Amino acid sequence: MQDIQYVGEHLLPGQVGQAAIVASFVASLFAAVSYFFATQRRDADEYEAWRGMGRWGFLVHGLSVFTIIGIMFYLMVNQYYEYQYVQAHVSEDLPFKYIFSAFWEGQEGSFLLWMFWHVILGLVLMATGKQWEAPTLSVLSLIQLFIGSMILGIYVGFGDEPSRLGSNPLMLLREVMDAPIFAKADYAAQLTGSGLNPLLQNYWMTIHPPTLFLGFASTSIPFAYAIAGLWTRDHKGWLQPALRWALFSGAILGTGILMGGAWAYEALSFGGYWAWDPVENMSLVPWLILVAGIHTNLIARSTGHSVRSTYIYYLLTFIFIVYSTFLTRSGVLGDTSVHAFTEMGLEVQLVAFILFFLGLSGVLLGVRFKGIPSPQKEEATASKEFWMFIGTLVLLFSALIITASTSLPVYNKVMQFFNPAFEGKVITDPEPHYNKYQLWIAVFIGLLSGIAQYLRYREANFQKYASRFGLHAGIAVAATAVLTYITTLWIEANAWQYLVLLFFGLFTIVTNLDYLVTFLRGNLKLAGSAFSHVGFGLMVVGILASGLNKRIISNNPFVMDGLIEGATSEELRRNILLFKDSPLIMPPYEVTYVADTVDTFTRTFTVNYKRRDQEGKVVEEFNLHPNVLYDKSFTKIAASNPSTKRYWNRDIFTHIASLPQVEIDLEYRRQREDSLNYRVLNAPIGQPITMLDTAALKEVDTSVVKTYDITVERINRTPTHPDYEPEEGDIAIGATIKVSRQDKEGIFTANPVLVLRGQLLYSYPEQINELNAKVRLNEGIFDAVFSPEMDLDYQAYTFRQGDKAEYNGYQIQFAGFNREPKHPNYKPQEGDVAVSAMVSVQAPDGESYLAQPVYLIRGNRPFNIKDEIPGPGLHFRFTGIDPNTETVELQIARSAKATESVPIELATNSLRSDYIVLEAIEFPGINLFWLGSSLMMIGMAVSLGRRMGRGGKV
Amino acid sequence: MKKLYIVAILMVAAAIALLTTAADDMSTYATFVQAARSGDRVKIAGQLSKDKEMYYNPAEDPNYFSFYIKDTDGEERKVVLLSEKPQDFELSEQIVLTGQMKGEEFVATDMLMKCPSKYKDEEVYIKNEGK
Repeated sequence: MQDIQYVGEHLLPGQVGQAAIVASFVASLFAAVSYFFATQRRDADEYEAWRGMGRWGFLVHGLSVFTIIGIMFYLMVNQYYEYQYVQAHVSEDLPFKYIFSAFWEGQEGSFLLWMFWHVILGLVLMATGKQWEAPTLSVLSLIQLFIGSMILGIYVGFGDEPSRLGSNPLMLLREVMDAPIFAKADYAAQLTGSGLNPLLQNYWMTIHPPTLFLGFASTSIPFAYAIAGLWTRDHKGWLQPALRWALFSGAILGTGILMGGAWAYEALSFGGYWAWDPVENMSLVPWLILVAGIHTNLIARSTGHSVRSTYIYYLLTFIFIVYSTFLTRSGVLGDTSVHAFTEMGLEVQLVAFILFFLGLSGVLLGVRFKGIPSPQKEEATASKEFWMFIGTLVLLFSALIITASTSLPVYNKVMQFFNPAFEGKVITDPEPHYNKYQLWIAVFIGLLSGIAQYLRYREANFQKYASRFGLHAGIAVAATAVLTYITTLWIEANAWQYLVLLFFGLFTIVTNLDYLVTFLRGNLKLAGSAFSHVGFGLMVVGILASGLNKRIISNNPFVMDGLIEGATSEELRRNILLFKDSPLIMPPYEVTYVADTVDTFTRTFTVNYKRRDQEGKVVEEFNLHPNVLYDKSFTKIAASNPSTKRYWNRDIFTHIASLPQVEIDLEYRRQREDSLNYRVLNAPIGQPITMLDTAALKEVDTSVVKTYDITVERINRTPTHPDYEPEEGDIAIGATIKVSRQDKEGIFTANPVLVLRGQLLYSYPEQINELNAKVRLNEGIFDAVFSPEMDLDYQAYTFRQGDKAEYNGYQIQFAGFNREPKHPNYKPQEGDVAVSAMVSVQAPDGESYLAQPVYLIRGNRPFNIKDEIPGPGLHFRFTGIDPNTETVELQIARSAKATESVPIELATNSLRSDYIVLEAIEFPGINLFWLGSSLMMIGMAVSLGRRMGRGGKV
Repeated sequence: MKKLYIVAILMVAAAIALLTTAADDMSTYATFVQAARSGDRVKIAGQLSKDKEMYYNPAEDPNYFSFYIKDTDGEERKVVLLSEKPQDFELSEQIVLTGQMKGEEFVATDMLMKCPSKYKDEEVYIKNEGK
């Protein structure tokens, strides 16, 4: 295959990109080394020179990263599918707005996104870092070196199986796989993309990853400062800039995590915002440790205590970010997570990444530990710093137990390495497992963040202050108790543990509001911490309200007992069947599936909710519009998007859990239609016929005979059907057919249609849901209704306006022209000259009819469209106009026989398919969760803003 | 720092206590035989038997989906999932179910499927096949 001269490949951008990948890798190493020496020689004359080289190195690195990203976008926008990454993530029909999502959908793209943010943050550090520039950028460049190695894609080692370092995003498809198509020189033109997973074609995928990765990237900066502080032995100086970066990072990372929750809740059908999935957990853990670090950093700035713990927390934050990267990207989570990446051969590199920075932090901390200043005097028990520090221990504790549970698959892998027979352990039900422990964490945080606000830093004389403290704390406890009682009237806290949590959630709200008003006197600039803690309390109340009181509205009242033996919990019956236009009561709503519309691949349903008062009057009504997204072949549903009605105090969440198989899969629908057991009946018009149908009974080994009465009421020559869109030249027949079954009350009407368009027959059957029956017209109906044209014996007549003639006893009169002719088979076109002859017919029995055959000139050619009077079977053609004599030529014929009976077909095994399977959940108080969690981030932003204002630039 | 040491020791003690209780929440992947013997709520990992019947008729019960899987010992049993039939179910390579045995059937309330990943997909997508 090596000898093939490929044509149509675009190799140049790939080669430039490959060069940029190598350049970015080498430049980050160069920058790390140069900045290392700049730091080492910071007091020497060489400092400037080393720093200059470091800067150049980092700038070249940044430029290279931008080049790689730019080239990848260029390849993706132009859809050069010969590149593996482009082929895997882009497709012709991918809307341009999702090109970013497609870029960071893959591992390599998300690594590049991470590196991109590091470059941006590094440039900010370079501009504002002053004496911290050299050590922090040295660390950051080193981090970039490790991430850069993930996309390097070079082979190292010798022998037959060299190991690959990194996964290169600019590989050609033919380099990563072997397929017959690569034997063709022009294969590139024949490739097409697989595109972006439809579940990810969503605006959340556009905003969530960049936010989260900015959060990830920003944790590197406090880490870099911590290393820099230890390295340069300036244990005090780093605290202020690190705090700003940590607040920034906390706010961004927190927002990124919340966006993930909002995405899961709003756009995916997970039915919740948090599920303790390993991927979620491992983004939360670094945030918890970072928040602990922010608190000890504050203590250190105010009292000089806790410098060591601040180091440890910031170092751990970043190490856990890397650990989280390892868990989610190495494939080790396997089947415990819904959305982890699969194995890509990066495991060893990722482990090296963790071990290197863990080792660096550990060694540096160990060497410098003794030298880190710490006040001799212990914190006073009644001081703010003491209880804040306890709080950070609680946060760390929380992070560690989440990590321990989440790391179970890692533990299994390690154990299996030593003992292959070891059976891996799993957590049976993750959600209760995590909730059980984190509940108490939240209780402690609620208590500590409430109490600590009333205490003072470096408390020397608590005796004097005790009465004020006692007064505030006492009032807060009393107020919280009242509030707790009031809240329980609204939401049910159905276990004492939840009641305790509710109390402490409210407690921190009360105390922090009190703190804001009486201690800060409403000074909003200082209110960051109060905001965050009130936010935490609101979030806890919101979680309790929406989690504990979540109510499945779509409980199925008709579930057959015994079928689901043992499924006692109502929770399990989440789905309900909703027939079209048949309202179902799901207290307190009356829910109706009203309509659905298809727009390219999206099918949107309209589900109507009504709430009535006791008299039955509608007091509230709204529509929800959940949709499903079909795949390109219409054989499966690629995504189901929920729709939510939002109130200030609750949400009504609705999603389509399933559809009838015939509505999911077009292929299956055809098969199903073919498998229907149609019986052909020759039905006289206007007279009932009877059909006996033998239906086998599944349960007992017998069968039952059902009797159907069928009447064809009339034949319709201009029929309508919901799915039929008339086109010019169509020959369409419809029939109105009444069907009843003797064991079933009611007569049901069906209006099937059969259309002959060119050489093709289109059948539009009609389903009678009540009888599970389907009616369609047999193609023989054309022969029965239309006499074959060739059998007709036309006679030509020439008429002047008003002339009469006799034909087979019928009085025929040409009444005049209609210059705007209407005929079911005629659709006017631009440039047509069309006219119809109005022919009135008087039958021997006195009955009179009107026929309107059309004569038209289109594109210099004459055409005529015949008209027919079905009853007597008269056919008229309008074949010519003579302007000189003012006469018209009409041709008249009569078919041999009148239509007496028509063939129709009836299938009695056609199940109805006009329903949806719906899941509807009510989430009370969910807005408290969003409000509270957002307020936590806003609080951090406020604190950051104040620190930026006071201390100038970062 | 004495007081803090006390707090730290208390926390470590609590952690050990928690870890011991956490053991109850964990289990190994069971087999059908073990699940039947213990009667507990367990997790079972297995392969979908694609040749056996998969039954989901929402018109009858939208919360009843049954199929057959082979567990790690190769034992094949009927599984009832109390939920709708998930999309792409037929494609799944491995299935992890949470639930318990009820008679001869395994009644599951939770299911995780592992579908073939795009990265492993060896198939090259070719425009207008046969051209």
